[in-house]
Amino acid sequence: MSRHLAPLLPKEDAREAALFFVVCALCFLAAFSGLVSRAAYAAAGAWTSEVTGQLTVRVRGDAADTERALAIVQATPGIASARALDRADAEELLQPWLGAGGIPADLPLPHLIAAEAAPGATGVGDRLTAALQQAELKTTVDDHVVWSADARRATDTIGLIALSAVALLGATGIAVIAFATHATLLARKDIVELLHLTGARNSFIAGLFERRFLMLGVQAGTLGALFAFGAAAFILFAVRQGDAQAWLLPQLSLSLADGLILGLSPLIAGAVSMLAAKVTVMRSLSDMV
Amino acid sequence: MPDNAFLSDEPVLRFDRVGLTYGPGADILADASLTLRPGSMTFLTGPSGAGKSTLLKLAFLALRPTAGRISLFGLDTGRLKPDALASLRRRIGVVFQEFRLLDHLSAYENVALPLRVMGRPEASYRKDVTELLSWVGLGDRLDARPETLSGGEKQRVAIARAVVVKPDLIIADEPTGNVDEEMSERLFRLFRELNKRLNTTVLIATHDMAMVRRANADVLRLADGMVVRAQAQPALQQDTPA
Repeated sequence: MSRHLAPLLPKEDAREAALFFVVCALCFLAAFSGLVSRAAYAAAGAWTSEVTGQLTVRVRGDAADTERALAIVQATPGIASARALDRADAEELLQPWLGAGGIPADLPLPHLIAAEAAPGATGVGDRLTAALQQAELKTTVDDHVVWSADARRATDTIGLIALSAVALLGATGIAVIAFATHATLLARKDIVELLHLTGARNSFIAGLFERRFLMLGVQAGTLGALFAFGAAAFILFAVRQGDAQAWLLPQLSLSLADGLILGLSPLIAGAVSMLAAKVTVMRSLSDMV
Repeated sequence: MPDNAFLSDEPVLRFDRVGLTYGPGADILADASLTLRPGSMTFLTGPSGAGKSTLLKLAFLALRPTAGRISLFGLDTGRLKPDALASLRRRIGVVFQEFRLLDHLSAYENVALPLRVMGRPEASYRKDVTELLSWVGLGDRLDARPETLSGGEKQRVAIARAVVVKPDLIIADEPTGNVDEEMSERLFRLFRELNKRLNTTVLIATHDMAMVRRANADVLRLADGMVVRAQAQPALQQDTPA
């Protein structure tokens, strides 16, 4: 029966615990930023798809004009459905501003037509405006293009900021992991030298450190990614329990892309740690005979 | 080139006008030349600070010379690639003055280190390592960590580690500096036995002139950065201890 041999590298010490914490924290931040970034893009997509294709026609005239306008809207190519909003609809729309007490009977309300463009239809708003003008109806067509463009710009900006944060954290993480690994290895220089003088090949020595730091990076990265998952799940839960609409948030969920972000973080951390260990050991060995 | 590819009449170690200087300071070694034949036993003596340890470091490839040429087993070490140098190191057993044991390994694991580095399975060397440790008087300390060993015990572990692979060349820096006379004699017999029975070349730097006299071996004296050949005889003066 073989004796159990201790690994050639000591199991761990305080320096490695510090490196573990650093890698864990950076992975948490990077993964969490990645999740926020993806959520921002998802929100942008949800917001714009909610308003894209919705058109509102305000008719400045009487009920007959509204009827004529509705017929024109329904006949316009690219319109999937349209209906005139009645007084009850208008009251519901105005309720947040005027309260639930009802609207005075003599208060003039705009005549509105809500229409929905067919999926993929383009230029519907312009066509509708032209058709209504041709019919000499005093109308205003709002296809929400301006609003949705603003919303997209805003969410794109949020996404870009989040992506920049991810990139910055990623680069910082790589640098810090490499630096911390280097510092940890310097403390093990005596072992490197002894193995070297005992006849160990450079690849053998580097391999010891590569395996050690790969495992350290993957374990610390996994813990960081799990914390990021926990934080994201908590926020998701809080949003679902609360009033998402009040936060202007669409329905959020964890997707395959989020899983990919969480899964990749520890692998990248492990790869960076391993590479940093290899470079440091090989550089250290190249200084020796 | 394979590990054992050297001719028997080829010097095991050869210094040709080797010099070593750190930065702009004075020469540590200047124009040092020596030749160790296969199967020879040689003592390196000299006053403290003469550069004995430095010369040994050059010999076991821990330092590069700033001048001259060092050949090991007929190979010019200045022209070899890292993997070839690693192969040469496996043929050299080194007893470091400061022992250089790994604190997280037991005495058994420290001795077995060169064999692990060679990729040997533990079962193939267990008996040899255990016997060797018993021979140096540490049969009951196999699992002891260096921090629990005395200076003399550490030294014996270091010596066992150096000889465990039955190297072609043993280089020892003050190998009996921390042991009593009886153990010193015993360790010397170990070196002598390896030298006689396995034709191992031995180079020992020492202040222990009693051991030098007993050995009746070649003696090199290092002074003023140069190596001069002396003889092992009672008339040799005792060097100043380190």
